[in-house]
Amino acid sequence: MQRIWTVVLSVWAMLAIVAVLAWAHRPVASPPPMAAAQTLVVKGANGKQQLVVVQPGAVGATHATTSTSGVVR
Amino acid sequence: MTAWLERAAFRAVGTSCAAAVTAGAHDTRRARAALAAAEAEVAACERALSRFDAASDLCRLNAAGGAWTSVDGRLIEALRLALRAREDTGGRFDPTVLPALVAAGYDRSFEQLDERPARRAVGWRAGAAVEVDESAGSARLDPGAAVDLGGIGKGYAASRALAAMRDAWPMLPGGLVDLGGDLALWGETPERGPWRIAVADPRRPGTNAGVLLLRSGGVATSGRDVRRFGPGGALHHLIDPATGEPALPGPLAVTVVASDAAEAEAHATALAISTQAAAVAYVAGRPEISALYVPPDGEPIPLGSPPLAQTRFVVRAA
Repeated sequence: MQRIWTVVLSVWAMLAIVAVLAWAHRPVASPPPMAAAQTLVVKGANGKQQLVVVQPGAVGATHATTSTSGVVR
Repeated sequence: MTAWLERAAFRAVGTSCAAAVTAGAHDTRRARAALAAAEAEVAACERALSRFDAASDLCRLNAAGGAWTSVDGRLIEALRLALRAREDTGGRFDPTVLPALVAAGYDRSFEQLDERPARRAVGWRAGAAVEVDESAGSARLDPGAAVDLGGIGKGYAASRALAAMRDAWPMLPGGLVDLGGDLALWGETPERGPWRIAVADPRRPGTNAGVLLLRSGGVATSGRDVRRFGPGGALHHLIDPATGEPALPGPLAVTVVASDAAEAEAHATALAISTQAAAVAYVAGRPEISALYVPPDGEPIPLGSPPLAQTRFVVRAA
């Protein structure tokens, strides 16, 4: 009987250790990529190349649109 | 951990609606519960505030002939907001324009309108009395008066739906409710930046006149670019309380940013019947709001520094 309890306790102890290790090594939330300025190379009318830097906030998808409310037919 | 925007689209208040929440990997169940709560709250607001449902609390109040009428708490709250907005806008927004709107031809749900010519409401005057007894849960109108909460009702419902999402999911990171372009938003986006709200350009369908960057608050747009009716689509739904007829001067559309969607809608309605000069003075006197005014001709005009994303280009020699 004592041997059975020893086995049961060992298994639980091992599971507890595995759970603690898994928790400690869980993937860390990585910060979202910072909005970075984009640089484009543009050729001017006179053939001269220029760098155009688009500032953060100028580009990106939108979450919603506001407009005069349309009608669902 | 990756976050995304969990969305639900639905139809309500006569237009296309959507709700969205910022959700993480283990939030799907909570996110869906929050979205369901938003949709249920919009439906409850519509049952109370619609003027196209004879069983709604608003229709019962309008038909009561000046008698005190027991109504849903949502209608009580919306009426109080509308009365405050009438005061705040100097009467340019008036919830009692309904008889004038009906006389102009907007007498049924928009999709059922025909091309009858406009009439003028006989004996109608702006500023009819609306009394609210919050403790008794009842309201009363001047005999002959009638209330329309169309625009401000949408803003109010958007704010209520956002609050319902936060109640359903107390740890909600962020969310947004969009009722046909009237928006209430709060909290974090999946990208942890501000909410990016496109302002549709009424001059060029499918394009934007700008992008607003917001952390919280309300946004509403009002204009004469859609919802036109009458012979040849010559009429629109923006009644000038000063004349009782569809307003003559005004922008193609105007978008207002405020701390609350109902407030934004009331100011947008007021600015939508204002000349450009009047709109400039109106916003200058109200630092709590900002706007993007799109005149019938010319470029959009920011009023009071709306939080627009700047498309800035810095050119350097290569």
